[in-house]
Amino acid sequence: MKPRVAVVVFPGTNSEHETQRALAAAGLDAEIVHWSRGSAGLRHFDAFVLPGGFAYEDRVRAGAVAAHDEVMDAVIEGAQAGKFVIGICNGAQILLEAGLVPGTGPLRRPTAAFAPNAGGRFMCVHVHVRLAVAPARVPVLAGLSAGAVIPAWVSHGEGRLAAPDAELDALERDGHAAFVYCDARGERVPAPNGSARDVAGLTNRDGNVLAIMPHPERDAWTFNHRDGDPTKAAARGNAQAMLAPSGGSIFFEAFAAGFTTARPR
Amino acid sequence: MSELIERAYVITLTIPDNEAFTALTTLARMGLPVDAAVRSDVWIATVEAAHAAALDGTIGTIETVYNPNKHRLEIRSNARPLPGEVWITALDETPAITVSGRTVDGVRGIVRRTAWRLLDEHGADVPAGILDRATESFLCNPAFQKAIR
Repeated sequence: MKPRVAVVVFPGTNSEHETQRALAAAGLDAEIVHWSRGSAGLRHFDAFVLPGGFAYEDRVRAGAVAAHDEVMDAVIEGAQAGKFVIGICNGAQILLEAGLVPGTGPLRRPTAAFAPNAGGRFMCVHVHVRLAVAPARVPVLAGLSAGAVIPAWVSHGEGRLAAPDAELDALERDGHAAFVYCDARGERVPAPNGSARDVAGLTNRDGNVLAIMPHPERDAWTFNHRDGDPTKAAARGNAQAMLAPSGGSIFFEAFAAGFTTARPR
Repeated sequence: MSELIERAYVITLTIPDNEAFTALTTLARMGLPVDAAVRSDVWIATVEAAHAAALDGTIGTIETVYNPNKHRLEIRSNARPLPGEVWITALDETPAITVSGRTVDGVRGIVRRTAWRLLDEHGADVPAGILDRATESFLCNPAFQKAIR
């Protein structure tokens, strides 16, 4: 039986369908679940993915209200029980506000934040991110190879990792800084949003929860790669090739592989 | 150049504030005894004293900052929260020199903060301990923000 993954939708989430498609293409049984079903409607899932958007219109602060939503009780319980949890963009902001990532403080008392971008503006740019820790450190993406490079789209106004310097040092030292911004060859580059230490994604202590700001699901099909991408260029005139998973799809394939190679508790 | 002074422009919605209501429902879920939440935008200007009166008038004409049809504007002569208020600001707060894209004579810097007041069922400020709990557990993320009391 395929692992059942809940794609958790809050009021204002807007990336649930492409996220569900990317998960399904990777072989998972992904179901969109609205917050109104409450935590009782979530507990039977094997894993949770919090997609991008603007949960609760980013009121008070990006991710802050959703982090306190009742439906997050099930996500937190699941994460603590070892289930896999991924947050993408706004979902990542929610995980930090919930204290699940990096998980160095009490629940719902964040020790880090994806704060407003340097320059204060929303940005939409194509990026690459590189796995910056050993694959064994992130069982949630057990299928990734060392130094894996994933293409994705940045689409956020608040993606700059911010934390006190001592916390940032600890995050790097203890392997929480799972992804950094890089070029297509994997060479680290300055984060486009001014993120501290060029971090694009964070994980928790056990590596079963991951928060990543860029959107791999928006670059998971050949047709939505940026212009000039060689895979996309080669697919021109070939609808089947253009509609095939590629690029960011490896993120979801690695997630799916985790259910067999690093079975969550 | 005249003496520099601070002016705080506290702008509060007079129509229902969806963000404040959402904050209220979250605080209720957290078990905090709060009956109402009031949110204000606070624009703090460092301005040459000779231009302060003109700035007061100018702020009232920038409708992206203050719309008299839906806002109340309070002008304060110092940049400190009142008792019962908490102001939330970025740790790396950087003053701008324009107000909503407009340059105003005499303004040396302007920053924007968010003010919160939490009220009990009688319309009075909640005890300081309740405001502290709300601030520490919800209104302020200390990783990139600070709360000013």
